[in-house]
Amino acid sequence: MGIFVFLPLVLPLTAWPVARLAEQRLHPRTATVLLTGVATVMALCSTLCLALLMVVGTAQLPGNPLPDGWSDPEVRASVPRHEVAGKAAIPALLAVVATGARALLRHGRVRRRAHAALRGLPSTQVAVLPDAEPYAYALPGGPRERIVVSTAMLDCLASRERRALFAHERAHLAARHHRHLLLVQLAACANPFLRPLRTAVAYTAERWADEEAARAVGSRRAVARAIGTAALVSRAAPAPTLAALAAPGPLPRRVAALLAPAPSGRAWPSVFTTVGLALWTAATGAVLSATCSANSAVTLLLLLQAATPL
Amino acid sequence: MTEPEARRPRRAQGALETRVLAALHEAGRPVTAGWVQERLAADLAYTTVMTVLVRLLAKNAVTRRREGRSFVWLPAADEAGLAALKMRKVLDGEQDRRAVLASFITALPEGDERLLRELLDQADDED
Repeated sequence: MGIFVFLPLVLPLTAWPVARLAEQRLHPRTATVLLTGVATVMALCSTLCLALLMVVGTAQLPGNPLPDGWSDPEVRASVPRHEVAGKAAIPALLAVVATGARALLRHGRVRRRAHAALRGLPSTQVAVLPDAEPYAYALPGGPRERIVVSTAMLDCLASRERRALFAHERAHLAARHHRHLLLVQLAACANPFLRPLRTAVAYTAERWADEEAARAVGSRRAVARAIGTAALVSRAAPAPTLAALAAPGPLPRRVAALLAPAPSGRAWPSVFTTVGLALWTAATGAVLSATCSANSAVTLLLLLQAATPL
Repeated sequence: MTEPEARRPRRAQGALETRVLAALHEAGRPVTAGWVQERLAADLAYTTVMTVLVRLLAKNAVTRRREGRSFVWLPAADEAGLAALKMRKVLDGEQDRRAVLASFITALPEGDERLLRELLDQADDED
């Protein structure tokens, strides 16, 4: 096992460059799928290694369920004694499980309660709610997938922009973006180094829906105007940032991207570009993570087998 | 008073509110709680109907006024209004709802607002 068991814990760092570059340089669809995949693989490997470390750690505690042969000096000598790391892995793994479970429960709760709120309404796909605060959400699952829009949101948009808004929300539902968002959310719980990927996917999923909406309405500018108008109307929600220092937030970036030419649909960029290099780094990191955790798991399994007197 | 209510699963409450509200709408005039109870023709206790009405009153979904010795009830909002109130509660209750529901727009800091206005002006010019 040795150092290999620690690598998947820090390999998510290799995905940082691509998380930063993908939102500008890759097609949003490619970026979303790719970043979600990388985040999922790395989160699984990191959690597996944490679990392996924990097994090694608990071997030193009295009353552990490992076979007695495990305490054989010869066996012990072949595992590096991760005494500190092994013990630290126990609370770390518990924290991962707890935060992950909380995120899952919360996801289910919000969806359930949102569907319950709409139960009295006729079962059309679009539910328009009289509310002075402008909002629009795609609500997956339940008896029927729905798009929830407030009257304040519709009032501020012209008819073409409304069509853009509905196309955007429909794209969220059709592409099952909530699954991507949930996966990266869980990945961020599993390893804090994966948090930038969650932010990146939240953005690229919106961009993906924007691009789909632009295609459906036939005008990138109409989508840009819908986002801009809706955002300016709802700016009442204060954001705790230092305005002068903040980099442009996601909304201006989305509008600017829509005013620029459509992104090319080419899936994998050449390795000789910056984003290509970043992408291959992340892909290598993911493969390395998988190899290291598989290697560690097999090693530990063989050790356990050898230590079991059967 | 709320005991029979408390034993119900939570889900039933929302459905009950919707039904009571629908009954008030069908009435088309201010009616008493007793009228609502008869109208629903379910095995609902009078106190249950009152509880639901009071709860709807707290949500501003109905209004009431005194007529003689009892109250008469009027719907203030329709089903969509009630749904909006509930949805607002869901959205306000979850701080991290953006992690669950993809939002069309997010909060807009001041610097972004200026930038966004410039971009929109640019979009209008190009038309």
